[in-house]
Amino acid sequence: MPQLQRREVVITGVGVVNAAIVGASPALGAWLREPRPAARSGAGGARPAVRLPEATLAGLIDPDEARRLARVCQLTIAAARFAVAEAGLDPAAGLGLVVGSELGDFTSTIAFADGYLARGPAGLSPLLFPNTVMNTMAATTAIAVAARELTLTLNVPTVAGELAIARATAAVASGRADAVLAGGVDELDPLVAEMLDALGDDGVRGEGATFLVLEAERVARARGARVLGRIAGAAWRSLPARPWGVGRHVASRAIAEALAQAGRQAPDWLYVSASGDATRDAWESRVLSAALGSRRVPSVSLAALIGHHAGLGALHVAAAAWTARVGLLPAIGGGAERVAGGGLVHGLGRGGGHVAVMVEAA
Amino acid sequence: MQDKEVFDELKTILVSRLKFDPRRAADVVQSTPLPKGVEGSIGLDSLDFIELSIAIEERFGVVVDESENLSAHFASFDTLSRFVAGRLRAA
Amino acid sequence: MRRVLVTGLGAVSPFGAGVKTYWAGLAAGTCAIRPLSLIDATGFRCRIAAEVPDVGAGSARRSRADRLALGAAAEALEDAGLGAADRASAALVVGAVGGGMLEAESWYWARARGERLPRWAASLRAMLPAAHAEALAHRLRLGGPRHTVVTACSSGAVALAEAAELIADGVVDIAVAGGVDAVTRMCFMGFNALKLLDPEPCRPFDRDRRGMSIGEGAAFVVLEAAEHARARGVRPHAELAGHGTTTDAYHVTAPQPEGEGMARAMRAALVAGGVAPDAIGYVNAHGTATPQNDRIEARAIAQVFGAGRPLVSSTKSMIGHTMAAAGSLEAVATILALTHETIPPTATLLTPDPEVEFDCVPRVARELAVEHAISNSFGFGGQNITLLFRRA
Repeated sequence: MPQLQRREVVITGVGVVNAAIVGASPALGAWLREPRPAARSGAGGARPAVRLPEATLAGLIDPDEARRLARVCQLTIAAARFAVAEAGLDPAAGLGLVVGSELGDFTSTIAFADGYLARGPAGLSPLLFPNTVMNTMAATTAIAVAARELTLTLNVPTVAGELAIARATAAVASGRADAVLAGGVDELDPLVAEMLDALGDDGVRGEGATFLVLEAERVARARGARVLGRIAGAAWRSLPARPWGVGRHVASRAIAEALAQAGRQAPDWLYVSASGDATRDAWESRVLSAALGSRRVPSVSLAALIGHHAGLGALHVAAAAWTARVGLLPAIGGGAERVAGGGLVHGLGRGGGHVAVMVEAA
Repeated sequence: MQDKEVFDELKTILVSRLKFDPRRAADVVQSTPLPKGVEGSIGLDSLDFIELSIAIEERFGVVVDESENLSAHFASFDTLSRFVAGRLRAA
Repeated sequence: MRRVLVTGLGAVSPFGAGVKTYWAGLAAGTCAIRPLSLIDATGFRCRIAAEVPDVGAGSARRSRADRLALGAAAEALEDAGLGAADRASAALVVGAVGGGMLEAESWYWARARGERLPRWAASLRAMLPAAHAEALAHRLRLGGPRHTVVTACSSGAVALAEAAELIADGVVDIAVAGGVDAVTRMCFMGFNALKLLDPEPCRPFDRDRRGMSIGEGAAFVVLEAAEHARARGVRPHAELAGHGTTTDAYHVTAPQPEGEGMARAMRAALVAGGVAPDAIGYVNAHGTATPQNDRIEARAIAQVFGAGRPLVSSTKSMIGHTMAAAGSLEAVATILALTHETIPPTATLLTPDPEVEFDCVPRVARELAVEHAISNSFGFGGQNITLLFRRA
């Protein structure tokens, strides 16, 4: 079927807030050169979890603002501000926003219900109520960074961060938006962790936010922005699977479409979701093998170091842009492998949602 | 209940319901304005005022009926304390 | 860019199951807002809502919201006559807010009382907004790209816009899109706490309006690329000719007082559809009946269209505010208004607000053939969308 004429999409800003990395591209790059696991804590239930120290957010959001922001919104805004500042963007020129999240603001939802259960109607908090709807991160961030164009919140299993980047890329590539702030955010919550334990959900859990500013390349260069990388192709599709299940099919249309958009036969290196959920990870490996054939393609996942959360998918895209720029693929346990060319960021979720994003230097 | 007692309870509500830092709440005086945009105010917006009125209803049993024009009563801690204390005496 | 047609409709509304039942209620100006039965409303000022009378279809182990969605989506697919091959490549976009929250609440309430419920009731996955898309894709064998949007009260309409873009951009030829929400304690209690609910059935655009009524339901549509529909020989209901999406970026609950974001969304929809304001015959308003929304929305409509025309009415007067379903249920109402050449009324409008400079079709439906109509949805957090429909 005929595809719309695509515009080139570039990354002009990055913001990361999690237990290992806080800041824009320089902070991300410094960590990627020597990737070390962030300290783990027990806040994730029975599984190991990587929680953001309280002092980090206190240093990023001032008290008057923080009073009115749920923690997961503070994470989003902090990361968003780093990205917008790095891009040097004037939001008055028009800025969209796409937020991917798997869990939203569970903390406020529980607190709101607890207020009623403890004290009846008078125990309800109007201030908490807007946080019980998952668009609260987008709504508060849109105000904080003055994003007045399309604002979307996407909720999908496992790959919400990757999907937000792919969706934002489509918005810019199609000509519907010149600049979109996009990324993922999730927060650890003890009750959620308890429920995930009961589901047998494996892997290290994390929390945090990663946001990227995506722009039309011509517009970005015309205003003199520093270009951090190009998203050469992005697509999201579905593989057959039961809801939240792991399937048997391996032919990825998302990978094929992303490569086709990038004009490539195959990626030179990979960032993969590999969240530590063993059956899901095995499925992802088979999908990637099917797409890449017998070639050995260097790959890495940052999930074990930072913990799986929706921010990780966007972090992988930002990391891929760094890899494309400096020619290094971080190695878990320290150090890096020399690589060249363009890379694929791949995410595959339970239920079969999969996202592929091709990243290259620009 | 005296105006001063009401004022102290309102400062507690600032922390428990409106999520103010305890030190910030301790700094507040009777003359501190409430609404956002007023010089020296603690910066409450429309949503804060709804939360505050529910808290007042829960703590004092005083019903704040939004169909009345109450903006004068919600101007400062002083006016609010007198409003609540007055309603309590009338009850 | 490819033209997008609506080739299938499905609805489960507070009038009952099915599009026919839905239209019968709308055309008759029936108000479906009644005393609550699904949840305990003791101690709250407002104790009414527009509940779906008989959810029927589907296993009792599924959440109520999943069952509403399945009913509406299955009807839309049947209406469009989509075969297995078309379904296997069809995209799916769902607008959701509450997800399976009603069942999660029952579990949490029981837990607080020290009781225990079966494990499935505690399912985190069933609770999330994304749950509906997973259930629908599996049950209805929809194998194309899928995602779930959460944009508060505009979710159902945003889902249609998302799907339309996938078709217009050539990603797919067919998409299933819609929104769903069931009554939940959280939503009901929250709007009560915000003092936004009218203890009586809501009265949009009425001088004496006092607030919203909560509702529930689901509506799904099949969207299709025009050439694909022609090749299949299927008659479309209408064309989704454009949409405009903006964000107020003003306040988490209150709309921007001048209706700036609302007006921008309406204008953008008109530009996208290549249609001038005077070509619009009907505006299906967001019309929640809060004093604020209706005043600001009316002002925004006047900014875009001038005072006096087009006709404006609020479906929420009959089915309440159905949250994530609202954008899609009201899109279906707008499409049905075009095909039936009848404008549904603002059923509970007794005394028109003099500040509202439009004929809001009080109480009785109006026979009128129009070429173009728009449907507005303005969600919490200033998430604004306008959908533009053209007669097929």
